[in-house]
Amino acid sequence: MSDAPLLNVTGLSRRRAGRAAVADVSFSLNRGEVLGLLGVNGAGKSTTLSMLAGALRPESGSITLDGRDFVADPGLARSLVGWLPEAAPLWPELSVDEHLLAFCRLRGATRAAARKAADTIIARLQLGDLRRRLAGVLSQGQRQRLGVACALVHEPALVILDEPANALDPVQIGELRKLIRERAAAGVAVILSTHVLGEVVAVCDRVAILHEGRLRHDAPLRDDAGGKTLEATFFGIATGAGA
Amino acid sequence: MSLGAVTRLELRRLAVRPLAWAIAALTIAWLAWSFVLGLGQFLGAQVKLAGMADAPGFTDLVAIPLLAELAKLAFLVVPLMTMSLLAGERRTGTLALLASTGLAPWRIVVGKYLAVLLWLGLWLLATLAMPLLVGAESTADWGKLAAATLGTALLLATLAAIGVACSAATSFPAISAAMALIVTLVLWTVDRGAQAAGVSGGFLEWLTMATHLQNLLRGLVVSSDLIWFALAIALSLILATRRLGGDRERQ
Repeated sequence: MSDAPLLNVTGLSRRRAGRAAVADVSFSLNRGEVLGLLGVNGAGKSTTLSMLAGALRPESGSITLDGRDFVADPGLARSLVGWLPEAAPLWPELSVDEHLLAFCRLRGATRAAARKAADTIIARLQLGDLRRRLAGVLSQGQRQRLGVACALVHEPALVILDEPANALDPVQIGELRKLIRERAAAGVAVILSTHVLGEVVAVCDRVAILHEGRLRHDAPLRDDAGGKTLEATFFGIATGAGA
Repeated sequence: MSLGAVTRLELRRLAVRPLAWAIAALTIAWLAWSFVLGLGQFLGAQVKLAGMADAPGFTDLVAIPLLAELAKLAFLVVPLMTMSLLAGERRTGTLALLASTGLAPWRIVVGKYLAVLLWLGLWLLATLAMPLLVGAESTADWGKLAAATLGTALLLATLAAIGVACSAATSFPAISAAMALIVTLVLWTVDRGAQAAGVSGGFLEWLTMATHLQNLLRGLVVSSDLIWFALAIALSLILATRRLGGDRERQ
């Protein structure tokens, strides 16, 4: 495994609706590292994540993924990136099983490999009872779990999760945290966007805080078991006191 | 391989959506009724036709009018079948999810186009089965029927490509359907003004879709007609691909 960061983001900028949604954001992420991305609504988290997932092109700046230029070649996402967008968009006409098979096949897996990968993630996320159920009739929490499964099914090197704990019950949130740490231990880099500070404290190695499109804080989470320091930093930035 | 995966995904979605089944059932019932009426009239006119030199046969009086009826229905059916292909996916956010799998926009466009083309191909086959079954027992003009079938297939493929392009242009399926219908009607009747002014031939006539389909329905396979359909399909799919590629810039 190389020591170079898996993801290198430099000077990332993007305007949306006439204003700078993301401005000059730079950071890097190593394999096995879990980065928590915090920010108030409209801070630019989802825009940043869309660019990192290859769904949105930056206006300026560079994204290097596994040593390659991701902006020039968004096809790298095929094997390297798994993305759970906010609100977990799914096809209501397809079953849980069909979603997982489709995501593998769309990324070029053979039928047999797709079947094996789908079975593995179904077992890991305990979706066995739901595998034949259509996504359109799933509860919000079940949809969220399926969205996470779709992001992980092809075993990407970088997993981007936008509000993954939305609508999950406390048991499922605990399972999700365990899953994220398990993937990180296997060398997967994870970016977790959330509004919940406790979520970041519980699973992340590092925290980045976006405010008004700019990266205002990027530091490891050490010796902050209660999350008091993070809370003070976050509210300081969000209210302008600590900017 | 991923092109096939997009097509399979779209076919699966078409197969479980009631819209495709309802459209297929209603239109095939309507076409079967038209076929029975046409066949009845053809059989009733046998004595009169027997006395005519070069009298039109089963193909002219039953099979080709049936295909022309299908072409008329296609003006409504194809926009309904294509409206959600990209517009609906953009609206629900699954299009961005598809793009994030690293698929090139052309693969998404062509994959979805192939799926709807396959559905339209089955629709055409189901319709064609009626004159084929009766024609096998009579003296059908197979050459003319083949040309008319080719023309109808090309019309369906062109309407589908226009539908995909319109679906790529918006996030609202209803607007996509309306756009596709209007574009098709404009292409169908673009030379009406010139005709009314007594001008025939020229670029406007060449641009008109009806000109090219009518030749094929008459049994004339002319390469310029085939080229027109190929150009219309290619241009529509290129526009759809460019618009989809622009989503990464525009969102």
